[in-house]
Amino acid sequence: MSVMNMKSRQKARRKKFELRKHQSVSRRDFFAGAAATLACALVPASSLGFAQTPTSAEVFTHTERKSLETMVSRIIPADANGPGALEAGCARYIEGALAEVYRSSKNIYIAGLTALDLHARKIANSSFAALDPVEQDKILATFEQNIAPGSFLETAHFFGLVRQHTFEGMFGDPLYGGNVNFVGWDLIGYPGPRLFVSPEMQRMDAKAPRSRMSVNQLMHDTR
Amino acid sequence: MTPVRLKQTDVAVIGLGAAGGVAALPLARAGLKVVGLEAGGWFQPEDHRPDEIRNNVRNWPHAVQKANHEVPTARDSLSGRVLPRPAYHPMMNGVGGTSLHYWAQSWRLNAWDFKVRSETTRRYGESAIPAGTTLEDWPISYDDLEPYYDQVEYAIGVSGKAGNLRGTVDDRGNIFESPRQREYPMPPLRSCGFADHMAEPARRLHWHCFRPPAAINSEDRGGRISCYYHGFCSRGGCPVSAKNSTAVTTIPDAIATGNLQVVTRAHVIGIDSEHQGRVTGVRYIKERQEYFQPASVVLLAGYTYENSRLLLLSKSKTYPNGLSNNHGQVGRHYISHTQGGNWQNGVVGLFPFDVNRWYGLPAQGTAVDNWADDNFDHTGLGFIGGGSIHMPMELKPIEAAGMETFGQAPRWGSGWKEFIKQNAGRWAYAYIQISTFPYEDHFLDLDPTVKDPLGYPVCRVSVSLKENERRALLFIQEKADLWFREAGAIAVSRRPLGADAVTTHAYGGTRMGDNPETNVVDRRGFSHESPNLAILGASVMGTSGARNPTLTVQALAWRTAEHLIREWKAVAV
Repeated sequence: MSVMNMKSRQKARRKKFELRKHQSVSRRDFFAGAAATLACALVPASSLGFAQTPTSAEVFTHTERKSLETMVSRIIPADANGPGALEAGCARYIEGALAEVYRSSKNIYIAGLTALDLHARKIANSSFAALDPVEQDKILATFEQNIAPGSFLETAHFFGLVRQHTFEGMFGDPLYGGNVNFVGWDLIGYPGPRLFVSPEMQRMDAKAPRSRMSVNQLMHDTR
Repeated sequence: MTPVRLKQTDVAVIGLGAAGGVAALPLARAGLKVVGLEAGGWFQPEDHRPDEIRNNVRNWPHAVQKANHEVPTARDSLSGRVLPRPAYHPMMNGVGGTSLHYWAQSWRLNAWDFKVRSETTRRYGESAIPAGTTLEDWPISYDDLEPYYDQVEYAIGVSGKAGNLRGTVDDRGNIFESPRQREYPMPPLRSCGFADHMAEPARRLHWHCFRPPAAINSEDRGGRISCYYHGFCSRGGCPVSAKNSTAVTTIPDAIATGNLQVVTRAHVIGIDSEHQGRVTGVRYIKERQEYFQPASVVLLAGYTYENSRLLLLSKSKTYPNGLSNNHGQVGRHYISHTQGGNWQNGVVGLFPFDVNRWYGLPAQGTAVDNWADDNFDHTGLGFIGGGSIHMPMELKPIEAAGMETFGQAPRWGSGWKEFIKQNAGRWAYAYIQISTFPYEDHFLDLDPTVKDPLGYPVCRVSVSLKENERRALLFIQEKADLWFREAGAIAVSRRPLGADAVTTHAYGGTRMGDNPETNVVDRRGFSHESPNLAILGASVMGTSGARNPTLTVQALAWRTAEHLIREWKAVAV
């Protein structure tokens, strides 16, 4: 087969895999009044074209969920550099994962989140969620270093797990319920999955256009 | 349960991965009836998706397979301390095996790798041989294997540029490679910004860099299109079948001859033999029924751990210590390749500008062999061998978020977020592979207590980082550090040293050699003790080389298959 034929076949295939224009999504301005918003205020999953909606499985009590949301909001806070883990749906991602694929970690989470609250009550007679962020960070730091006084839990292990899962929720495919509106990928400058990457996109100074696609859309899922 | 006895076949191959998947082709073409027993199933291109959580975080499909229930245990051979057992098996089951989603780096070994003991003694003296090693020269030379490297490169499709064509050195390729008779079937994967950026300082250091070879289409070939560089190649299958796993190359070609029958979901539990030592066939379980597949010849082509394990589990009166183990060599001369990247042993660099590694693939990049093998004078260095250094492409978002902070930021919070926003796209790692040798106290055996769901003991790995490899590793880390700084890195971090016990680069356990007292298979790949049993895989290799094993495994597999074809009457009857 001649080189010319190969090139035109390649072009035809490139067209076949050409990115569809993303459905219009209203971008919320997360910078205005930067208080942490709850998961329900985020852009609904259906408008991002998911073939499957993230699970709304519930694993936690209201208090535990509040502690988790607070914890993720401190691991990756909303700030001048943009939305944080809470806005990105990380708490929802984590709870959804704990309901199924990460179910063996459920008890560690419940114990850890309970311990956070117990600590907050001991130190400041408040729930963890109601504490000042500076105080929240202090408690989280003691957990991270395994020096939380009076704790029976391997808090460092718990902290590491939540940090890891928060990162998954922030920077994983939106299919899983996090990285809502691609805020995680935007933060680090990842242009998103695409099936065709041109040589130009691989120059060191290249900023490839954001594909704005979840893997489901990219793979033309019908499931 | 009473096993169902199946119809006799000429050859039963256990495992249709990189090795078994290659051997099946020449056998089927020669008219032999081959039954391929594969523990996994078929994968389709649409099963492979650019999804980091699925592929790399949750390890699909490893996490849900037979192999995952048989993850080897490990202990440090020096202290006896039990090491943490990995959560997932490093390899996967499936038609095509791990070649479905490996990096597809496809190197030939250097001629030196075949003759390390004699060459080291000649050049540096007997005292340079590392203490405690059981190293032997391979019974074959690079020249013996060359025609099979060539055969496999063309049969599966390897892209690269020759650095030594019939003795003529070409600096567009690797000038240190051993001579090849033919050019690669496809040019190398294209270069890119970051690779070009790293090539320039290498040249200033008077190192020779080149684009490394890969079993990946750099152009349309074999009825499949070329790579799209989409950035999910590491532990990701190829949605456009540009990655030349045996599943899309040699296995379909073998099936097309009409002589290969693929049996999926076949969980092999033993190889039977008769009182004179010949193997008679393979026992496996499929859908809760046990089968016996009689065969004139059996090729054992599971991964390295499974090859030794299955032999040890296949006991009989003739083989009370395991099939082909009357000389006590099964499991011996085991090697965990000393390698490192953005994990143990590697070197990581931070640049003051974006390097744009978001797409591409690990096989795309630039490599240096100046410090590998015996390519430099080792006098006074205190080690033999060395390492290859490769600067790979492909960076995925969760991986990027977990980047080293080089002491410049905390691990979470706004300070971390500020750092990651600026630096997620500004770092790279050097992938290094060190020549690793076999040692007396490094071996595979059956774990005394841990069992798989069927009740069979899993494989146990005993290994450590020896002084020779530790020194070589430090030397290579130094080179990689230098390379990064020459390239403009403002910070370089070296990963802690250690031996990956359970690894994707595992060798030995059924070593190839002329001496039956110290080796399991002969120079053809056939068991010294059981004349109609052959073994395929890195389990037959006596040294690791400073590079990925798969192409060598495949060349050896093809060669063993051809020996079988030529000697069929003598072996099978």
